[in-house]
Amino acid sequence: MLETSGTFQPGVIEEIQRKAATGLYAIRGYGTLRERRWATFDDLTFLPCSLTRIPLEGYREKCSTKTVLGTRHAKKPIELDIPIMITGMSWGALSLNAKTALAKGAALAGSSNTTGDGGMLRAERDASRCLIYEVLPSRYGINIHDMREADGIELTIGQGAKPGTGGLLLGSKVSDVIAHQRDLPIGVDQRSPARHPDFLGPDDMVIKVEELREATDGQVPIFVKMGASRVFDDVKLAAKAGADVIVVDGMEGGTAASPAILQEHTGLPTLAAVCEARRALEDIGVYGEVQLIIAGGIRDGVDAAKAIALGADAIYIGTAALIALNCNRAMYEIDYHAIGAAPYHCHHCHTGRCPVGITTQNPELMKRLDIDEGAERVLNLLRAMTLEIQMLARACGKSDIHHLEPEDMAALTAEASMICGIPLAGTRKVFGS
Amino acid sequence: MAEVTCEGRSIREINVAIKSHIRGGDNEITVRNPGGRHNLGVAILEPAHVTIEGSAGYYCGALADGSTVEVTGSAGWGLAESMLNGTAIVHGSAGNGAGAAIRGGAVIVYGDAAARAGVSMKGGLVLIGGDCGYMAGFMGQKGALIVCGDAGDAFADSMYATVCYVGGKIAGLGNDTVIEALSSADVEFLDATLERYLPFEIRKTKPSGKNFKKIVSGRRLWNFNQRDRKIWQEAL
Ligand SMILES: Cc1cc2nc3c(=O)[nH]c(=O)nc-3n(C[C@H](O)[C@H](O)[C@H](O)COP(=O)(O)O)c2cc1C
Ligand code: SF4
Repeated sequence: MLETSGTFQPGVIEEIQRKAATGLYAIRGYGTLRERRWATFDDLTFLPCSLTRIPLEGYREKCSTKTVLGTRHAKKPIELDIPIMITGMSWGALSLNAKTALAKGAALAGSSNTTGDGGMLRAERDASRCLIYEVLPSRYGINIHDMREADGIELTIGQGAKPGTGGLLLGSKVSDVIAHQRDLPIGVDQRSPARHPDFLGPDDMVIKVEELREATDGQVPIFVKMGASRVFDDVKLAAKAGADVIVVDGMEGGTAASPAILQEHTGLPTLAAVCEARRALEDIGVYGEVQLIIAGGIRDGVDAAKAIALGADAIYIGTAALIALNCNRAMYEIDYHAIGAAPYHCHHCHTGRCPVGITTQNPELMKRLDIDEGAERVLNLLRAMTLEIQMLARACGKSDIHHLEPEDMAALTAEASMICGIPLAGTRKVFGS
Repeated sequence: MAEVTCEGRSIREINVAIKSHIRGGDNEITVRNPGGRHNLGVAILEPAHVTIEGSAGYYCGALADGSTVEVTGSAGWGLAESMLNGTAIVHGSAGNGAGAAIRGGAVIVYGDAAARAGVSMKGGLVLIGGDCGYMAGFMGQKGALIVCGDAGDAFADSMYATVCYVGGKIAGLGNDTVIEALSSADVEFLDATLERYLPFEIRKTKPSGKNFKKIVSGRRLWNFNQRDRKIWQEAL
């Protein structure tokens, strides 16, 4: 029998040999590929009504999904029909067709979409009902007129897939159009700075938040987005800095291109992140006043409902929305093979040769994504996810999905019980307390 | 000519007052007693001339398009950051990140600038009459950065296509930089720019165009590439 080392497995051997050949670390897209051996939303189960609580009728009784963000300071808080929003993915990482389809789908669903690390695309604004404008360390494409058209401003400190580091866009995607938009030479492997160019820490971020508010006349909410790291402290600092809405992006979060090791070995999982974020807001007495958006590996209405029950006001999805646009679908298989991938196994967004036209700037590939069809699929996904959340909420007796609470769940593992502060199934105790 | 007094007013009230004067047709506005306040004159999108009589804090004249903001004292961090077009003039000195991420227009500092002047600039001009601190021009993408005095350490580090000129000494060049010979067009550009933006009394103490050094990107960090292993080791 041939034996394999448990330490030096085939993948490890290949990676060492790749490094030996190139002298460079690996870059890829998609987010962590690790088997999730940490506590996830799957480690929780809902406790629907029986005798102690009365459920709502599935198809008849109202269960509100309306979601309001930015009630703390903004003159015009954001009002969405549903709690699931499209996260910031840059025009550059994504094709024009993908950006537009996402915007259109989100608008049809009564939700929002977000710009990304490359400024605003006009077609995206025109297709959006509610557009969040990201202000990132790189400031690519920064434009005050676009900011003033936005419905919210998101000051991004970091992302879950790679907290503490800047963006990447490899040369194959820095086409003439993208280079022009970002003020870069065509074809460079663009590395974005990790730090903002004009503030360093929480003290001067207070001034930055004030500046963004001044620039938009105090009309729209200011979000602060961060990768999940020291969430308990970071969330408190962001709230103190004046954020109306805080976005915490967990370790399972997606990316178009990042060093692989950062995706695999940095940050906190999304389940842990939402729990820490809620405790942080409660700790300084602003839970409910500052809204919380959770992102990172959210796949369906179940994950979303659990995040909401744990304290999130809304959910960002990235990868799931791309999958709705046909990411990893079994079509154009030859083109998957040409980039060393296959349907269901593709994480090759960094190559710029996305077989289904999503993460590419190649006009021929981009054509494979029809904007209207894509928008319809995004709409359907958002609708179905919302129905799933409503189904769980009604079963738990809630006439508003935002009334879901930790008490509506039991933990299936000791770790999840400890992290979430929810009793372990079959006991009345929170593990470890 | 209108006046706005800062004393006893919130920054919101000050900026609203400035903008309502502009909307009312007053294109010359003097802001009195600024007291180093942050976010003075942010996002002015009309060709008005706002003079701040004294010193300003962070983000003075930031996110502008077409305005002129003139500070008679000194300015704090992020002077005119992310400006699309227009002019910011500081008679004194500027804090970190002067002209950060500007996409056009001109940021003029008669005195010194602290660290990272012109960081991530994407166009336009950053002109420092005096010396600048470390990492000026870091990741500069386009436009021109002119330092008439001495430049600090790690100057022009990891740039894309910003062109830098230094009149004095450079404490140390950043990663992937090249000193290039000045062309006659460079000398002409430098002389014309200094003449246009620096008052005679200041300009006469500065080197003339032909005495500047020109620094551009060596383009070795533009693409990941194993041939330049050493430079990547230092850069990342
Ligand atoms: C293709 C792609 C591009 C992204 N680009 C950006 C970006 O420009 N700015 C940003 O803040 N986050 C970016 N992200 C991260 C997302 O905003 C979000 O935090 C993450 O994708 C959420 O995790 P999920 O994909 O598992 O839903 C990107 C993610 C993907 C998948
Ligand atoms: S199919 Fe396209 S979007 Fe999906 S992982 Fe592959 S390259 Fe990325």
